[in-house]
Amino acid sequence: MNKLKLNYTSLSFIPILVCIPLGYQLINNINFGGFKLFQEFLISAFNPKIDNEIIIIVIKRLNETISIGFFSWLVSIIFGAIFGIISSNIFYKIFNIPNFFYHIVRFFLTIIRSIHEVVWGILLMQIYGINFSIGIIAICIPYIAVNSKVFAEQLETIDYKSFESINQINAPKFSSLLTLIWNPIINTFKNFGLYRLECSIRSTVILGLFGIGGIGTSIFLSFQTLNFRELWTYLWSLAILIILSGLIFKKIKFNTTNKILSIFFISVFFITILFSFSYFLYFIFNTNFENFNSVSSLFKSSSDLGLFDFLKLISETIILSLLSTGIAISLPPLVIGIFNNNTSKIFIKIFAFLLRLIPTPVILLTLLTFNNPSVSLAALTLGLHNAGITSKLLFTNLDSQDKRNYIAMKSLGISKKTSWLLGLFSQQAKSYLAYCAYRSDIIIRETAIVGVIGSVGLGWQLQESLSSFAWQEVTLVLIAYSSIAIVGELINGKIKNSLT
Amino acid sequence: MNNTVLELENISYKYKDDLILNKINLKINSGEKIALLGKSGSGKTTLISVINGTIKPTQGEVKLFNESFEELDRKQKSKITTIWQDLRLIEDLSAEQNVNCGLLAENNFYFAFKNLLNISSFKKAHKYMKLCRLHNSIYDKKIRKLSGGQKQRVAIARSLIQESNILLADEPFNNLDPKLITTIKNLLLENADKNKTKKSPKTALVALHRLDLLNDFDKVIGIRDGKIFFNIKRNNLKKIHLEKIY
Ligand SMILES: Nc1ncnc2c1ncn2[C@@H]1O[C@H](COP(=O)(O)OP(=O)(O)O)[C@@H](O)[C@H]1O
Ligand SMILES: [Mg+2]
Repeated sequence: MNKLKLNYTSLSFIPILVCIPLGYQLINNINFGGFKLFQEFLISAFNPKIDNEIIIIVIKRLNETISIGFFSWLVSIIFGAIFGIISSNIFYKIFNIPNFFYHIVRFFLTIIRSIHEVVWGILLMQIYGINFSIGIIAICIPYIAVNSKVFAEQLETIDYKSFESINQINAPKFSSLLTLIWNPIINTFKNFGLYRLECSIRSTVILGLFGIGGIGTSIFLSFQTLNFRELWTYLWSLAILIILSGLIFKKIKFNTTNKILSIFFISVFFITILFSFSYFLYFIFNTNFENFNSVSSLFKSSSDLGLFDFLKLISETIILSLLSTGIAISLPPLVIGIFNNNTSKIFIKIFAFLLRLIPTPVILLTLLTFNNPSVSLAALTLGLHNAGITSKLLFTNLDSQDKRNYIAMKSLGISKKTSWLLGLFSQQAKSYLAYCAYRSDIIIRETAIVGVIGSVGLGWQLQESLSSFAWQEVTLVLIAYSSIAIVGELINGKIKNSLT
Repeated sequence: MNNTVLELENISYKYKDDLILNKINLKINSGEKIALLGKSGSGKTTLISVINGTIKPTQGEVKLFNESFEELDRKQKSKITTIWQDLRLIEDLSAEQNVNCGLLAENNFYFAFKNLLNISSFKKAHKYMKLCRLHNSIYDKKIRKLSGGQKQRVAIARSLIQESNILLADEPFNNLDPKLITTIKNLLLENADKNKTKKSPKTALVALHRLDLLNDFDKVIGIRDGKIFFNIKRNNLKKIHLEKIY
């Protein structure tokens, strides 16, 4: 037998080994009494509640979700572009600003980005209470930072020589800046804008589960009351929303040569900026800081959290990230490779769609019906959800790949599975791993969501500390959480570089 | 009328350990048309980049109208226009938008904005593009879709529209058909305007390596390994000069 060679293909499968400790812990934690509930949950999928009353609620709730999602998208993409500009090299070159500020701005955005919108949401809700705009703000804060990174990356593609030539024309600095950044910015809007709208709608749903409103809140409430039929009504309507918007987004093509449309977009751009600023001012002068006592409490409140507990939480969070990443990497190629026929493919695709559709907290709550909370359970949840996403990418890439090798190998009498592995997947493995490295950045951030619900890691501690107003602990947890995310991003960046 | 517009004082440029420009001294008087000769790699492009301020010399000073280049304001600096060897157009903008970029210096931000939105006036741009024999079917085409010769002429039109007094051109006749070369050369050197009295006649420094294009130039400068080997009237150019630099 051949020895196992360490190449990209085998590296895509090895992480599945995480299932050994994970399975062990899960089996030990099984609570057989809960299976009935789980069964009920599954059956209700085919029998959602449909009547006039619930349809009206669904429409109202979806409306809320879309509004929050849309406005946070609008604000975050516009300010993302602005922050993208001021975190790109070209800006500092044109205005002759010392590079020191460039690094400061980048660092600041990296920190903001490292904290998941759910964490921002929980924080803000604790301080300001629940309202419509808190949802928007919670999404906007990390989204502006994430979007700015994408814009900045596009702006770094500006040819230095075209900068020099515009510079040599000696145009006013703002004219030079605008002329140089125009196309990268417009292209980013075009290629990336609608995708981010979808993301912000998904984030709104998740924040809804934590009480911000919209369909997410209904989903959470129906789960709390074990109203599974209602729950599935909400989930299916969410599915319809996502599928429909996907179809609509595919049809939308921006035509920048249309002058009226351009002017419309420009006006929306400026109105959004104006409105955001005035709201920001209003927010500062009119907010009741009752819940927040005072900033000084941040330094006064003592922490019950010992160093040991703290380290334990950190390692729990890291383990959680590793286990989930392992599942997200290896499960899709394994399942797709083993069940390599057309019928299975359809089932896998549907299952993956459901995993993407159902918000992670709901997956976790469902699994919690028959399993006690543990790191493994949280990891399984996060892993499965992200496997839904990585498998979509893998399917897309495999479908568009040249299949000649695969067919040739099969006709040579090599087994179907081996041909798939060596003829198809092996050519994808490298880019697939690179995407997974990127995905694992997101997984690290998402550990907060499952942490809060699944009582593990820093996410859970954050919730605990917040509800007891232990601001010092909150700060500590945030610092730890953000450091893990930043270090993770650095490591993943190195991995990505070596893969591309 | 020996009024110096451009002066290079002891210019050296070092890149890593290579001395790319070596103690260059040069005076260019108003209205002079100068051809810069030298084989490829001799330092022509680097010299032009130093003159227009894109590259800072390691040593020495560039003076424009007797003032140090670095101390000039934006308006004064814009008296120089450059045609780059590698063109340096903005690939994603249309030909006419690129030509209009030449007008950015004399206009405000709003003009730049309108240019990008395609709602500014392209009248002047079209005038210069027409002079460069660009067909109106390519006016609104993206640069990346044009042929080499078309791109070259867009870059030339962008430079002409600036109506600057001093022209630096780095092998501007590349990619052009022989017939076009004469037209473009006349445009660049303003031969057509020769008889008209203009306040400040155009000064031109044109890097070349085709000897058959030397007529119409007043002076020839020969450069090799970053050093000026000769700087003479064109009529005095002898074979022996060329042997030095080639
Ligand atoms: N960006 C650069 N980095 C390093 N060396 C360069 C660079 N540009 C030009 N050179 C070197 O400088 C010398 C002069 O080049 P250049 O000015 O382009 O000459 P020319 O335009 O006459 O062909 C060459 O030896 C070239 O290798
Ligand atoms: Mg050159």
